Formats: sequence, C-alpha cells, structure tokens
Amino acid sequence: MSIIEAKNLCFTYGINTPFEKKAVKDINLSVNEGEVIGLIGHTGSGKSTFAQMLNGLIRPTSGQVLLDGRDIWENPKEIRKIRFRVGMVFQYPEYQLFDETVYKDISFGPRNKGMNGDEIDKTVRKAAKFVGLSDKLLQKSPFDLSGGEKRRAAIAGVIAMDPDVLVLDEPTAGLDPKGRDLLLAQIMQYHNERKNTIFIVSHSMEDISRIADRIMVMNKGNLEMFDTPRKVFSEVEKLESMGLRVPQVTKIMMLLREKGYDIPDGILTVEQALYEVVNLLKREGKL
Amino acid sequence: MSFITAENLRFSYDDENRNVLDGVSLKVEKGEFVALLGHNGCGKSTVSKMLNAMLLPDEGVVMVDKMITSDEEMTFEIRRNVGLVLQNPDNQLVASVIEEDVAFGPENLGIEPSEIRKRVDDALRTVGMYEYRTHAPHKLSGGQKQRVAIAGILAMQPSCVVFDEPTAMLDPSGREEVMNTIAALKAKGITVVLITHYMNEAVQADRVIVMNSGRVLIEGKPDEVFSKVSLLKKHSLDVPQATELAYKLVGAGVHCDKMPLTTEECVGFLEEVLGK
Amino acid sequence: MIRDVTLGQFMPGKGVIHRMDPRVKIVLLIAFIVFIFCTFNFFALGVCTAAIITAIVLSDVPFKMYLKSLKVIIVIILITSLLNIFYGTGDPIFQLGFLKITLAGVYRAIFVSVRIVCLILISSCLTFTTSPTDLTDAIERLMKPLKVFHIKVHEIAMMMTIALRFVPTLLEETDKIMSAQKARGADMESGGMIKKIKAMTPVLIPLFVSAFRRAYELAVAMECRCYRGGDGRTRMKTLHMKPLDFGCVGFAAAVLAGIILCNIFLPAVI
Repeated sequence: MSIIEAKNLCFTYGINTPFEKKAVKDINLSVNEGEVIGLIGHTGSGKSTFAQMLNGLIRPTSGQVLLDGRDIWENPKEIRKIRFRVGMVFQYPEYQLFDETVYKDISFGPRNKGMNGDEIDKTVRKAAKFVGLSDKLLQKSPFDLSGGEKRRAAIAGVIAMDPDVLVLDEPTAGLDPKGRDLLLAQIMQYHNERKNTIFIVSHSMEDISRIADRIMVMNKGNLEMFDTPRKVFSEVEKLESMGLRVPQVTKIMMLLREKGYDIPDGILTVEQALYEVVNLLKREGKL
Repeated sequence: MSFITAENLRFSYDDENRNVLDGVSLKVEKGEFVALLGHNGCGKSTVSKMLNAMLLPDEGVVMVDKMITSDEEMTFEIRRNVGLVLQNPDNQLVASVIEEDVAFGPENLGIEPSEIRKRVDDALRTVGMYEYRTHAPHKLSGGQKQRVAIAGILAMQPSCVVFDEPTAMLDPSGREEVMNTIAALKAKGITVVLITHYMNEAVQADRVIVMNSGRVLIEGKPDEVFSKVSLLKKHSLDVPQATELAYKLVGAGVHCDKMPLTTEECVGFLEEVLGK
Repeated sequence: MIRDVTLGQFMPGKGVIHRMDPRVKIVLLIAFIVFIFCTFNFFALGVCTAAIITAIVLSDVPFKMYLKSLKVIIVIILITSLLNIFYGTGDPIFQLGFLKITLAGVYRAIFVSVRIVCLILISSCLTFTTSPTDLTDAIERLMKPLKVFHIKVHEIAMMMTIALRFVPTLLEETDKIMSAQKARGADMESGGMIKKIKAMTPVLIPLFVSAFRRAYELAVAMECRCYRGGDGRTRMKTLHMKPLDFGCVGFAAAVLAGIILCNIFLPAVI
C-alpha cells in the first residue's frame, strides 16, 4: 500500500522576482510502505527541495503531497503534526544539537510531540540503541561527543519521534569509511526492525546501490527515472549526461559488455561482478 | 635532502593522555604528490598542521626546505612556503570580495601593491576563478569556494601545498574541480600533500602513506599499497572497487602482475584474463 | 525567509558617485551634514538641497530607492513638524483652544523637515553607491592617524571586514537550523512573546556554537596565511584621488561658499 504520494508536485523559488527559479517540476510518484528510496541528482537538481516538501517544511507552489492518501496541507495549521510522521534528518545534523545532555536533546522531538514521561524515556533509549549510543553517553553534553557520535545523536533525535517515513539528507557526508559503513548499517538495521519507509539522499552511488529498493533520479527539477537500482544503473550514458556517476564496478562491467563479453547489465556489487567473471572463466575452461 | 622530513614525531593534546602521534616519520620530495590516508583520529590532520609550523611536535623534528619548524624566526617563512588548505571552504575566506580574499596572504607578507595585483590575477587564473574575481564568496558553490581558498594560498607563492581533506564537504562535481586544480598545481611543479578519505583521489598520487593510530601503517606507490586489500580492510579503509575485484579474482586463482587501480586499468586487466 | 534580508543597501553601478574615492565620499558626507546644520535661512538651505539633488541625480541609483529610505523616517518627520508647528512664537494664524499655529511655526516645521530629508538623502547616497568593503577600507585609512592615541584601527577594520563576510553565511545557517528544529516539531510561530523567545533557544545555541567553531577555524586559516596583525602589512588596492574627486571637493567648496554668502546677506529664518 502506498504511504506517500506526490501529485503534480511543483515548487518555484522567488515567484514574481527576477530570481524566479523552478526547483521542482511536476513530480508524480507513489512510494509503498516499508520501501527504501534512494534519491540521487546533481547539486541544484531539486532533490533537497523535494525532500523538504515531504514533511511540509516547504509548501508546494502547486500540486500535492499525500500521506496515507490525504493532502498534508489539507489543514495548514496542523502541519506540525505531519512533521512527527515524516521525520527529516538534514545534512550535517550534528549542528542542530543544543540541549544540556544528549538524553535531553534526543527527547526534544518527543516532547514537542506531546508524549508523556514514560513514553519519552522509552523512545529516547530505543532511538539511542538503534544508533549505538551507550547509556553513559546519554548523560554527557552533546558538545563533548566525537564527530561520529554527534551525528548519531542527532539522527536519534529524529528517530525518537518514531516517524512512519524517515528522510535522510546525505547522512554519511564528511564521515570516514568506517563511520560511514557503521552508520549505514545502523540505519538499515533500524529499518529492518521498524519496517518504515526511508528516503535517503546521497552522492555515493556505491552506498545507494547497496541499500535502496528503488532510486529516484532528479535532474533540473524533473524526476528523470524512478526504478530499481539495477535498471537505473544500467543506463550509464543517461546518468553521465546528467553529471552522475555509476558505481565503479558497474562501469567496468558495462565496458566489458560493450567489448562483446557475455556479461549481464546492471551489475552493482563487486561480489556480483566476481561471480560473473569467474563463471565466464569456468565456461571457457580457464579456471 | 628531501623537501620535507619529519622524524619520529610524537604529540598529544593537553586534554588527552593518549598520543595522537606515536612516532611518525615521513619524507616528501620536491615536486612529489603524496596522499595521506587513514580514518578519523589517526593523527593525519595533526601531521598536516606540523608541516607548516601551526603545531610543534612534543618530540621529533620537522624540517621544511632546510628550516626547522621549531625555529620561531622561520615560522612565517615556513607558512609562506607550505600553504595549508582546510576542509571547510566557508571558514577559510576572510573578505567579502574574492580578489580581496586572495590578496590577504600577500598583503600579510608586505608585498608591493602592483605585485600583489599580479599574483592575485595569476592565482585566480590557475584555479579558473578569474571571471569571478569581483563576486562575493557566499554566492559560490562549495567547489568554487575551495578553489578560491587554494588561490589564496597560491598567491603567497608556496613551493608546497598541504590539503587537509579539501573535498570532504563537497559534492562529486566540486571534488572533481578540486582534484583538477591539484593536478594543475602538480603540473606547475608544486609539491602536494593530500589528506583524503576518497580512494579514487589517492590513486592519483605518486605515493601513498597510510596512517593508523598515530603511526605509519604502510607506504608506497598506489598500486603497491592498494594491493594489500585485506590489511586495508582490516583497518576499515576503502579500496577502489577495481582493485577489490582484481584482488578477489586473484583469490579465485587468477594471475595478476600489477594491481589495477582505475576503471580503465581494471577493464584492461579483465580483457587480458578473459582473452580477447 | 531570513535569507532575503540583505545587509547594507549597496546598489552596484558605474555612476559618477560610484567612481569616487570612498574616502572623499565619507569626508564629503560629513561636510554636507555640517553644511545642513549651518544653514540659517531658506536660501542657504536651498543651495544645500540643490547640491544634494545634484548628487542624487548623478548617483545612478533609481529615485525609487531614495523614496524607500525616506519611508522609514516619515513618522519622525511628522512628529518633529507637528511639534514645531505648535511651538512657534508670534501671531497665530489659526487657533483652537490652547493649540495655536503661527507663520513662524509653519516655516520652522518646513525648514526642519527639509533638513532631515536632506540628511537622509545624502547618507543614503553614500550607502547606495559604496560597497561595505570599500566603506570599511576607507574608514580604516581615514582613521589611521588615530593610531597615535593607541586606537587599534587595523584590528577594528579587520573585525568589520570579517563581520561583513560572515553575516550572509550565518543568516543562511540560522535558516538551516530553524528548518532542522521545525522538523523536530519545534513550534516557533505560536504563543506570546516569552514563549517565542524561549522557542528560539534551540536555534540560538547551535548558532553560537557554530559561530565559535567558525571563528576558531578562521583564526587557524588566517594564521596559515601568515596573518600577524597590521604591522608590515600592505594592501593590494591603493586609493588615489582622481581628477573626479578633486572636482567633487571643489563642488562642495562652492556649495559651502554659497551657503555662507546666503547666511550673511539674506535674512535668517530662525
């Protein structure tokens, strides 16, 4: 069943000024409950604007965002309630930490949501566990944490609101490979337990291809593709014309295929590539 | 003698009892492009700040172009000679007009106005930002800001530029802009030390040094270093997918003389293995 | 959105006033402010006004912008005019109870209003035609002699430069933090004054933390670029007085002469 839908969704910045710019142009899509959606596109492709329309931080200039079939702007005064159902983690979320302790900071969202004491305690501890923050860290000041811990505390602050849809804008930006892999694994584990819908914006095609069920490709405000990673990444030329890359191994396998080797398209991981190459070698009796 | 020699550096910050640097030695030759890898907290940023006398080691010596960094009289000459470009492009720009920002370094050095003008124009042309010289920095993209920051260093006419994760906060096109600029500096004969997490950037270097918990783990030519896939993975460092695939094929019994690092090299290697 | 707020009112252009040396502009602005207060009759004020209108015409800034700057102070003009109208001495031309209006009062009101308008117009002329960077630069150079009194002229100018550089960055950052906290359900629109101020804590604390972090990183970057205060520092841009600037100074001198002559030979109003 679809949880979130966009209908003729448009957004234009600075209407009636010389700086008028169409950031999002007529997007239509429907996302099912429990899907992980990767969102890729060049800087300025409109992906951030799109993401911020999902939880009503930006109001569409025309068109609708439907949550469970209802327009989120049906009653503009109630838009705050939408934000508890569609959680949004901004880029570099650690810069929004403010409270005395990590615990209090994570509980900011739940308190705004109007949860009572016991509920708050439960949800804060659960969220902290998902991102791997120990009880000891919860009593520390958020400003005393390491960079990676701050990032995870900030993400916990959004997870603690227990949103049905979670939007993450480049959650791994600026982390080292170790921190990046750890965080992605935690997000995926959270997803597997909570079974909610996730939108993840990223520039890392390797990461996106690993975790997304479907990928939205945006370019100049348009939704150019919306399909499985395999299908999306088999269109190498189209992606490259939009200034996007494909995972390196996908590109290698595509070049081999073009040279006439019998290799399927849309290979996304090193393991898949290894399997295909070894198979080919075995068939030819070279291994 | 090497352009930069660091010997047995040890260092700890006041508020920590752990040694951030625990006996690091390294050399950088004139005109060389060295990539410094390692995950956060391994001490690579600390090393970068020691190369231009922003930090002094507790133990050990850093020599830059025959000058010792602990010699206070030489501090400014060393900083002029070894420029440092930092991670966040926003926090490196001082003035609200690009050309005035680029002029900041030479102005501090007390250079003649007409000479500053020439250097600023040259530096902006090298990084390809000359057309933007009268713009305001906050209207530029991340990659453009970082290029302006590089121009600001170039205007001091250094013989070496150290980059401390210059692309970590940029999008892929910004990263490419910065890497192209680094290639341009190298072509001009400027020594480059690049600290990065991105392996596709490190493979462009002449030499790679991998650090781990305050020490040098391995160093060598990129193909030598990246062929040690299991060691790098053990220290949770990335390996280019091209290298990883070749490594796994070797594990399956395929012969490989030279580890491929780039897409093209890997395609060539696979063609050879599979037979035309 | 906060981002739309722009600091300063500089309008880029290539008019005569734009091309003037900013130091000359500042000095002439101060001169004109003095002139305005040294006018003692309508004739002298007329000369001064004419000169200011000439400057505005030459400034290559749409007149609409000047009207906008006047809009802000319209209340002040009205209040001062009213006070002056009713406080005049002499024979009333209109009387209602204790309120009386005299001819002298009306003259005074007009005189004071024109003075205020002139003041605003000539100050706007400077801010419209001079970029904040040029202004800072000119102030630094004009204040240089104050070094004798141990005033840290260079440091003050450097602080102004950095402030100008970071205002847009911090405004953008405020916007981002506000969005992020709104996404966590922060309610910043409803409630009374105190509730609204309280609701700003989650925005202000991260903003301060970030400002300090930026300040620290900027200091490192400045040291890396060999910054060591104002001693021994040169500047890329040197300011030279051009014929245009001498012309403008001459013009101002002529205006001054006109004002003095009018003041001496024509009857005073106040």
